[in-house]
Amino acid sequence: MDELLDSRLIAQISQLDLTSRKIFSGKLRGERRSKKRGESVEFADHRPYATGDDLRHIDWNIYARLDMLFMKLFLEEEDLSLHIVLDCSESSDCGEPNKFLSMQRLAMALGYIGLVNLNRVAVTTLGGALSSHNEPRASASAPSPSPPGGEGRGEGSPSSSLPLPSHSIRDLRGRRRTQDLARFICALRPEGGSDFNECAKRIAMTRRGKGVMIVLSDFFMKEGYETGLRLLVGRGYDVFAMQIMSPQEIEPDITGDLRLRDVEDFDQAEVTITAPLLKRYKQTLAAYCGELREFCARREITNLSVRTDTPIETLLLDYMRQRGLLR
Amino acid sequence: MTFATPLLAGIAAAIAIPLLILLYFLKLRRRDVEVSTTLLWKKAIQDLQANAPFQKLRNNILLLLQLLALILALLALAQPERAGKGGSGQRYIILIDRSASMTALDAGTDADRARLDEAKDQALALIDTMREPGPFDRADSGADQAMVIAFDTTAEIITQLTSDQSALRAAVESIEATDSPSRLKEAFRLAQAQRPQRFVEDEGLNTGPSFAFHLYSDGRLPDAAEALPGAQDHVAYHVVGSESSANIGITALRAERAYDEPAKLSIFVGVQSSDRQRRKVDCELAIDGRTVSVREITIPAASKPSAGDSDNRWTPGSGGVVFELDQPAGLVASVTLRTGDDPAGDVLAIDNRGWLVVPPAKQTSVAVVTDGNFFIADALAGMPLARLDLFTPAEFTAAMGEGRDAIYDVVLLDGWLPEVPEGRTLPAGRWLVLGAVPVGEHGLIDEGEGDSAQIIVWSRAHPILRGLTLDALTIVTSRTVALPEASPASVLAETQFGPAIVELPGPDFRALVVPFDIMETNWPFNASFVLFLARAIDYLDRDVAQARAASGASRQFSPGQVLTDRLPLGAEDIRVDPPGDLPEQKLVAASDGRVVFGPLKATGLYRLRWSGPAGPVDAVNDGRVSRIYAVNLLDQDESDVPAAPGIILASQEVSAAETENEASVQKYWPYLLLGVLAVLMLEWYIYNRKVAV
Repeated sequence: MDELLDSRLIAQISQLDLTSRKIFSGKLRGERRSKKRGESVEFADHRPYATGDDLRHIDWNIYARLDMLFMKLFLEEEDLSLHIVLDCSESSDCGEPNKFLSMQRLAMALGYIGLVNLNRVAVTTLGGALSSHNEPRASASAPSPSPPGGEGRGEGSPSSSLPLPSHSIRDLRGRRRTQDLARFICALRPEGGSDFNECAKRIAMTRRGKGVMIVLSDFFMKEGYETGLRLLVGRGYDVFAMQIMSPQEIEPDITGDLRLRDVEDFDQAEVTITAPLLKRYKQTLAAYCGELREFCARREITNLSVRTDTPIETLLLDYMRQRGLLR
Repeated sequence: MTFATPLLAGIAAAIAIPLLILLYFLKLRRRDVEVSTTLLWKKAIQDLQANAPFQKLRNNILLLLQLLALILALLALAQPERAGKGGSGQRYIILIDRSASMTALDAGTDADRARLDEAKDQALALIDTMREPGPFDRADSGADQAMVIAFDTTAEIITQLTSDQSALRAAVESIEATDSPSRLKEAFRLAQAQRPQRFVEDEGLNTGPSFAFHLYSDGRLPDAAEALPGAQDHVAYHVVGSESSANIGITALRAERAYDEPAKLSIFVGVQSSDRQRRKVDCELAIDGRTVSVREITIPAASKPSAGDSDNRWTPGSGGVVFELDQPAGLVASVTLRTGDDPAGDVLAIDNRGWLVVPPAKQTSVAVVTDGNFFIADALAGMPLARLDLFTPAEFTAAMGEGRDAIYDVVLLDGWLPEVPEGRTLPAGRWLVLGAVPVGEHGLIDEGEGDSAQIIVWSRAHPILRGLTLDALTIVTSRTVALPEASPASVLAETQFGPAIVELPGPDFRALVVPFDIMETNWPFNASFVLFLARAIDYLDRDVAQARAASGASRQFSPGQVLTDRLPLGAEDIRVDPPGDLPEQKLVAASDGRVVFGPLKATGLYRLRWSGPAGPVDAVNDGRVSRIYAVNLLDQDESDVPAAPGIILASQEVSAAETENEASVQKYWPYLLLGVLAVLMLEWYIYNRKVAV
């Protein structure tokens, strides 16, 4: 875990908390106000008594004044479900600083923040593989893939349902699960391609509850990201699309006559890198990012662009605060 | 615009251009680079990257530039040129005038170069434009060839026809000016002689390919009208020098002794000026190296050409001076013109000096052999003779026996003939025979005395009889003679019966024969008799001088001539010392004592030295005999330096202006290669700019 988060950073991010523009219902009572009326100290409303209501919540002062039974409704404080989707396709393993490492560190930091604040944290990968020698203890203790909605609460349950390799760890809660999270994230290896749309569909179908979903990816998907994001947001998640790009992607430093090979699908492109072509590339990149941003804006997805050479402290403490992911 | 080697370039183009395009498709060995995704790159190069080959070529400025460079190089290989005349394989005859006037310093842009240097530069420029053999041509087949001929009075082939430009250049550069006048005719004849003659079946003798004559001269070519280029030959005249140059030069130099007083020597100096202003120059006379007199000469300005004058030339002004000296001895005189310090006022230096070798005073010695004809002695007494001796036939026979007769230049025989061996006519010598008929192999046929006669016809043009009237001459008793068949004798006067005065040339004698006895005529009382005697003696004596000149006794030569002289028999270790820096040369005399040296290239004094017997006027120093010869330019055409804008040849008229307008062959391949270089540099620059990020 020290690889991903050093102690100084931990100290800095410990007081951060996740926010959501939406208030979601949770499964457990947590530290978060829920839309649900529940049993907390914070008063929300009154409503007329109906038969069967818990007598303990009758506002006896009202009854004394009005001779009518009203129920005192309290805001229920709930936990928040934080779902981190990590793009583990081969293409993530690029750039200097490495894109995948940046994603891992971000996922770890965000997960840690979630865990510290008693949120339910889940991590799902898009593609990728798990190193066998470094499998998280969580999966060792509960090796059987937990079916969706299964009773694996609190337990990491990597699932590798074919055909698309996808791994996940779910229902982590509390600071003590930090190690499990770290072990899982550390064990991830970028490998192969990722079918984002397919993965998004599966995530949308299998997740429980609502919450914040953070998608860490470069969003350079040949099949398109639109369908996938639409699926994710359609199920009521507050989605943050974090586009991670290396400086080499933003400002390529390659020249000459080249055969560019796509690390994922081994597609080749023969290019002669010239100044006009580089200019055009940058224009294309800007247009692509612009399209993504516009798409997200239309669907209330918060889009964040992250350069891998930006220090993670700056990201967490400044950038994400500004963008309303953290507070 | 024509191409010298279009086929070669076409073949090269057919190979090279498809090869370049093919190479272009094959050339890119792209470096493999892994990227996270090719998505953006593909989008970026969507219009750049296309699979169709020709789309690939589109917008590819590098390939276009390479193609351009290749095409330029191929064009250069085709050797494009703005054509002059004819196709490939021109034959140039480069005629370079190296005569004295080509040393005039009025050529070039600043008018301070020697004309010959300018002419050589122009000739080199012509050689540069010659078409060189193509890389795959057989030697000399498609290339231009040239021959270099330098001429003054003689013409010399410096190189034969060749396409080797370095040899031609070396040949042109090796040409040096001489002090000789120019003669163009021989140069043309020499060139014509080199023309390969071919016998073509059905056509007969073919005069071979046509020549392109390029004449580099100042146009001072007095015999240009005799130069005959071939009918198909082209003549270009490249004029060097200025048309308004001023020059002052000695054009005549002569020494003469007074007829009656041979010790009095007059030296005539003729000077010519082509300056368009009147000029005054000093003329300095030095005898044996010592200045004896300086005289000023005023020379009128050159006169404008008259309206009808075809060659439109200014006529140079001329002046002269006579130095009178009292010098009975032989001497060497030199004349120098002092023309001032301005080099533009006198562009030609070599005609400012002249030399004269003057023999000692000499007059005719005459012997009269008579039995007492006082008319003859009286008539001769008035003549300025060195010696006049009277002999009776007996005395003269005795003198001949002792060899004393050799001192007489002319012997007059009156009614008597010396005895000669059978078959001979007269002894060696000059004879004026009156009243006798020399017979024999080279003589006349005596037909005896005839009747009274009159001179009815005489040769009025002959030097002896010119202006004489013989009508009044009455011959009481004539002597009838006849000429043998095929006799070389010529009849100067005739009576009705036959020849009356006969000139009789023999193998070793010359004689004038008057066969009748003058005492039997009224001639002695006629003035024409005295004149006849004087002229006859003068004529025979001049004949001696001519014979002397013919044997090389003259000491005056012109540059370009060959020095010949006869040395006394027995002369050994003969050396000639030319003027200036020229090295001394050894000569070998022929068996009759004749030596030959030349052609003479420089003006000045030539000294011939030998060991052995000396001639009558030769100086002897430390046992070495020396004889001096003077070589002078003395050529009005050479000294009249303004360059002629045109020359008239036997078959055509050539002007320098025409030649300048005529397009010389202009070669473009060096410019094309420069273009290739420029395009390659541009391509390199663009390539680097494209790659630079």
